[in-house]
Amino acid sequence: MAEVRVRELYKNFGRVIAVDHINLTVKDTEFVCLLGPSGCGKTTTLRCIAGLEIPTSGEIRIADRVVTYAQPKDRNIGMVFERYALYPHLTVFGNLAYPLRVRKQSREAIKKRVREVANMLEMLPLLDRYPRQLSGGQMQRVGIGRAIVREASVYLMDEPISHLDAKLRAHMRGELKRLQRVIKSTTIYVTHDQLEAMSMADRIAVLNEGVIQQYASPDDIFDIPSNRFVANFVGEPSMNFIECTLKESDTKASLKAKSFEISVPREWVKDSKAWGKGESLILGVRPEHIRMRARGEAKEARDLISGEVWVYQPLGSEDIFDIKLAGEEIIKVRTPAEQARYVVHEMGKKTLLEFDKERMYLFDRDTGETLAQAQFTQNKNKGE
Amino acid sequence: MIDNKVEESVYRTGRGWNIVAYVVLSLASAIAIFPLIWLGMTAFKDRITAFALPPVWIFTPTFESFKVLIGFRHMELFMLNSAIVALGSTGFSIGVGVFCAYALARFRFRGGESIAFWILTNRMIPPLALALPLFILFQKFHWLDTRRGLIFLYTAMQLPFVVWILRGYFEDIPYELEEAAMVDGDSWFSAFRKITLPLAGPAIAATAIFVLILSWNEFPFALILTGATSRTMPPAAVTFMVESNIHWNEIGAACLFIALPMVVFVMIVQKQFVRGLTMGMVRE
Repeated sequence: MAEVRVRELYKNFGRVIAVDHINLTVKDTEFVCLLGPSGCGKTTTLRCIAGLEIPTSGEIRIADRVVTYAQPKDRNIGMVFERYALYPHLTVFGNLAYPLRVRKQSREAIKKRVREVANMLEMLPLLDRYPRQLSGGQMQRVGIGRAIVREASVYLMDEPISHLDAKLRAHMRGELKRLQRVIKSTTIYVTHDQLEAMSMADRIAVLNEGVIQQYASPDDIFDIPSNRFVANFVGEPSMNFIECTLKESDTKASLKAKSFEISVPREWVKDSKAWGKGESLILGVRPEHIRMRARGEAKEARDLISGEVWVYQPLGSEDIFDIKLAGEEIIKVRTPAEQARYVVHEMGKKTLLEFDKERMYLFDRDTGETLAQAQFTQNKNKGE
Repeated sequence: MIDNKVEESVYRTGRGWNIVAYVVLSLASAIAIFPLIWLGMTAFKDRITAFALPPVWIFTPTFESFKVLIGFRHMELFMLNSAIVALGSTGFSIGVGVFCAYALARFRFRGGESIAFWILTNRMIPPLALALPLFILFQKFHWLDTRRGLIFLYTAMQLPFVVWILRGYFEDIPYELEEAAMVDGDSWFSAFRKITLPLAGPAIAATAIFVLILSWNEFPFALILTGATSRTMPPAAVTFMVESNIHWNEIGAACLFIALPMVVFVMIVQKQFVRGLTMGMVRE
């Protein structure tokens, strides 16, 4: 087991810059997810660490050894591929034994170790099968088994479960996380699925256009996003973004958008970088932090936003509303099902929204930088 | 109930079409096989019945022509030449072609497509247009009437074919498999040898068989570039014709000599071949 250090990693393919000076340290036994949309450079970064791509510049260290230009076989890594990449002419046993056979281990040792791993992944009855006789989930198990059959310094996983169906994926998420804790391995996991990253990782590196946007724990990624991209990428449905202007006075502050104006805690904006930015702000609020007023609830409260139920999607345990505001903006609202019973959900009817002021974010309209983190995060930091 | 009726009618029309298909196929096979049957019969006739017109269908088979071929015409030597030349050129063209095809399939380099196309253009020249230049070349190199000359020439002729066929096969084998092997601890070459090569095995075997047949049967260049010592069977068989009188039975027997080894060989490897293909290439 070992630490992985990536320093100033840069890789271009002709005119396309895939990875733009990335710095990343993965601690010993840590589970790190590289998260980002397709083409953001996460796979290229992983392939550079694996030695399957040669970086244009930068340095990669595994276990304190510089391996930037070393061959894959000299890096002591295990890798799980997106499309399984099982050897079709070998049985499951042959596939699992391959990394051990290459290293000329004894017959008995190989047999013992393969059975151990097969047992761990519940594949003992499959050892004599060929890959084409396996289901997608079984194939990926073999792929994972082949990676962990040998004690590698670091395990690299390239979207290992993205080709499985939704149910199996949810199951494998749990299994992978459990497995990683059991074998206590340093793991770098590439995915475009924020749910996978949030549920499994110790830390997440969010990438976009070859640059790390934020590298932090799942909680911090979710609660303290460094910019609008991160805030948008993590969370389902994703955060609502509304263009607005900050109105400041000596005693109070308010945000004015096309369809509404709401007052905001003055001390919150006063202490943030948003103060004085006036015009060019984006208000961010997550769908679960918007409350829909129940039917018949008193309407005297201030800062209510009126809108029309545009789309209503009941999902069983929770309901998703699309609310259209007066200025045509669509706001997504997520409500637990038991509360949704009391609100207006006929499409086309009027309704009233209330934003949770503790949990609003302000972003720079041009750079996307987070100017004001949600107020509750300040208390959270103090608590730590 | 309704379902049953539909099935029955489908079944009936299906059978009707089957009968038509059988008739057509039988006719086609008869037309294709007839010359071969005649050839085989001629080989077992004596000199006089071979000439008979209208052809004799019922006769006592004789090995006369085979005795002449072996004892007098030295067909066994021509066969040895053919075998050496065909096997040699197949070995070389596959050996070199595998690597060319792999390089063209795997590595994107400047001009790769142009090189691939240029290789193909070599097949576009009518072979006989090269006869004279080749003859002069062979003369200068003292390759006339040598087996190594023919092996060299056939290798050059078959290479484009080998490269183009195998390139397609290699492209179908995911590069990820080699990457996985390299991560698992192989060098590039051992990944190629242990993963890609076995997977391409059936394709390579098929190509090799094809090339072998082409080299074995090649006629025009063998006729021009070989003499008494290195002559292969196809031009040798023709020389039996240009002498004072034509011995049809001997030519028939010579043709059997040429055709039979290949037919037997392909029948033997065919099983292997189909097994290799069904063993499962790569499922996408």
